[in-house]
Amino acid sequence: MKRKGSTSVKLLLAAIFITCVVFPLIQMFLNIDKEGFLSIVNNERFGTVVGNSLKVALVSTVISVALALALSFSITRSRIRGKGIFRTILTLPMLIPSISHGMGLIILFGANGILTKQLNLPFHIYGFGGIVIGSVMYSFPAAFLMLTDVLNYEDRSPYEAAEVLGVSKWRQFLDISLPYLSRPLISVVFSVFTLVITDYGVPLMIGGNYTTLPVMMYQEIVGLLDFGKGSVIGSMLLVPAVVAFVIDLLKKDTGRTSFVTKRLRPRKNGLRDGLCYTLCSIAGIVVIIPIFTFVLLTFVKRYPLDMSLSFDHVFKTFNMKGSTYLINSLIVSVAVALVGTAVAYLTAYCTARMNGPMSRFLHLISITTMAIPGLVLGLSFVLFFKGSWLYGTLAILVLANTVHFFASPYLMIYNSFNIINKNLEDVGATMNISRPRILLDVLIPQTKDTLVEMLAYFFVNSMMTISAVSFLANVSTKQLSLMITQFEANRLMECSAFVSLMILGVNLVVKGLAHILKKQLRKKKAVNLQNLEVENNETVQVGI
Amino acid sequence: MTNHKLVVRDLSVTMGKKQILNHVNFEVEDGEFLSILGPSGCGKTTILRILIGLLAPKTGTVHKDGVDITKASPSQRGMGIVFQNYALFENMTVLRNVEYALRLNKETKRQARQIAMEMLRHVGLEEHANKKPGKLSGGQQQRVAIARTLALHPDIILFDEPMSALDVDTRMTLRQELKDLQKTFKTTMIYITHDQEEAFAMSDRIMVMDEGVIVQIDTPENIIRNPADDYVRDFVIRNIQLKIDSLSRFAAVPEEGTGAVE
Repeated sequence: MKRKGSTSVKLLLAAIFITCVVFPLIQMFLNIDKEGFLSIVNNERFGTVVGNSLKVALVSTVISVALALALSFSITRSRIRGKGIFRTILTLPMLIPSISHGMGLIILFGANGILTKQLNLPFHIYGFGGIVIGSVMYSFPAAFLMLTDVLNYEDRSPYEAAEVLGVSKWRQFLDISLPYLSRPLISVVFSVFTLVITDYGVPLMIGGNYTTLPVMMYQEIVGLLDFGKGSVIGSMLLVPAVVAFVIDLLKKDTGRTSFVTKRLRPRKNGLRDGLCYTLCSIAGIVVIIPIFTFVLLTFVKRYPLDMSLSFDHVFKTFNMKGSTYLINSLIVSVAVALVGTAVAYLTAYCTARMNGPMSRFLHLISITTMAIPGLVLGLSFVLFFKGSWLYGTLAILVLANTVHFFASPYLMIYNSFNIINKNLEDVGATMNISRPRILLDVLIPQTKDTLVEMLAYFFVNSMMTISAVSFLANVSTKQLSLMITQFEANRLMECSAFVSLMILGVNLVVKGLAHILKKQLRKKKAVNLQNLEVENNETVQVGI
Repeated sequence: MTNHKLVVRDLSVTMGKKQILNHVNFEVEDGEFLSILGPSGCGKTTILRILIGLLAPKTGTVHKDGVDITKASPSQRGMGIVFQNYALFENMTVLRNVEYALRLNKETKRQARQIAMEMLRHVGLEEHANKKPGKLSGGQQQRVAIARTLALHPDIILFDEPMSALDVDTRMTLRQELKDLQKTFKTTMIYITHDQEEAFAMSDRIMVMDEGVIVQIDTPENIIRNPADDYVRDFVIRNIQLKIDSLSRFAAVPEEGTGAVE
């Protein structure tokens, strides 16, 4: 039986999505005129730029996924020590903006780079190679996390059966591991491809004359203020992202066919473990080096001439409104975390715990936000909200970031809701327990872990994003991450490095807090269970 | 004792192009144990969801005690439901699970606790009152779900395959406990199952369903003696006969040397 309250909530959510996703995109499409379209398509440079983008995205995806696969196998299929540390280090790049990766490479391998000079390297990093290296560094941690998660949950029963049947390790890999990984791998490949092809941070910083589509769009809009051409490129940028999204959606597993009963526990193997340890160590060092250079550049007077400790660059950054922009970023990130988590939670509640066409519409639009590149979203927001009271405020940045990062936390809580018994609300209905009460007393307590994770995800990503906010922020609402390009343009690499460090520091603190909070929640759960058993008799007597 | 009687008339439900229920009519007497028996997809759970008010029929009516409850909300029907998957509130203790609805339905804290403890005693779980459901066995969790339903004193309790996830021993015990509870509380019970043996062991009457229609509704004895058609003979009686045959193998002693069993 339908309830009016839940229908109103769904309608409200649908109105929010239509206003913040559908209308802005339509506005962007309406902004395309024939003249602008033809001038872009007929431009010789355009063909080259499309080719560049595809080349960079394809090569980076192959390297990134291969590296992530090797590293996730090393972590999950070996008995090496320090897996937790490796996992943390290898995912550090996810806490800084993509533009920082490009900057790290310039500091190391640029024309005046630290390693270029120290080692007298005969090559430079600018162009295709640099973009690929930067893109791999930026994208492989996401692939690594996804694959590690998938491999962690693989059931060992088929391997045990294969062992008994005398199937070789190599055949086990071909016939069990690969088929098991095939579907998740498709998701990973498309995620990485989308991430790389829509990113403008790395190519903007390190591309030199090698232009990609997002950089071209950025130049048209920020440099030439040509929103018409920007819309044409934005629409084209939407194509690979949407195609990747649809293919991924069609290929996606509808669910696990069996419950995992036994997790894989690798046997001891010195050679394998040695190789895995070496690979993880090398990857860890490669990840840490750029971050280390940020520290070096920030805290020495003038590298390499004067290596004495100095806080000049820190003060300089703050003198150039660094603290204002840091506060802006913190305000926006906290607001995105709160608003985003609330909306994503409510939406997932409506889609996972209720049926009907409206629920299906909300689910589809929620996951579709994944396919909208940040730059495209930013441009759509500019075109749609220009002239409204929102434009030029921190609120529009909150809105843009919430939409931009909505899909992943939404899916986190959607999956959590789906695991919880589906009949709770039915039982509630027969016992006169309202849906809001079930939500407050049963569902929220059971999903606290996921709530913490959602808050952290929204915060961290909002703190480091540059794409969606780059067209929307003005002098008074500017975000800290946007200072990286500003400083770099003014040849203040030391200040850029410090900004990257600040973002990394804040995100590390938030991730650390989330980790501690989740650990405590789990601990509390376990203690409660123990106490309840000890206190059992006492309370039962009171009850009687 | 008030005579409760459930009257179902002309229920029809379609989903897409599929007819889930096709003009279903039946009555349930007060204090009766009625089993609805049929294979997966025959429409038995749909009937249950309509009776409790979680699903609206396309056509037809449901009367309880002479009152039309077709459009009444689930909580206004004086019915309770027990699901196969228990549907317990995992974050709450066993005691809290049982007293939770009582508290929300305006009972005082003391009264709610008293009722809840009494119900837990009826299902033999008072010593587990402060455990979380996750710490209990499947059978114990199902008893909590039953106690929670009984606590609100419904006239009719609906069971949606409550024992499908339990082992054979637990099922046998729970069957008897359920019959005892029915006697104690004088509650009408409507029990959905696809297990013929369970239906025959527990029910006053059995309603056999196939593809959205009632094929036969009668006492277990009459169904065995006079099956309505070949479907009832095959699905219901033959399955029970097979079980009896397979069990009788172990009752007989094989003749020495032949290894044959009867």
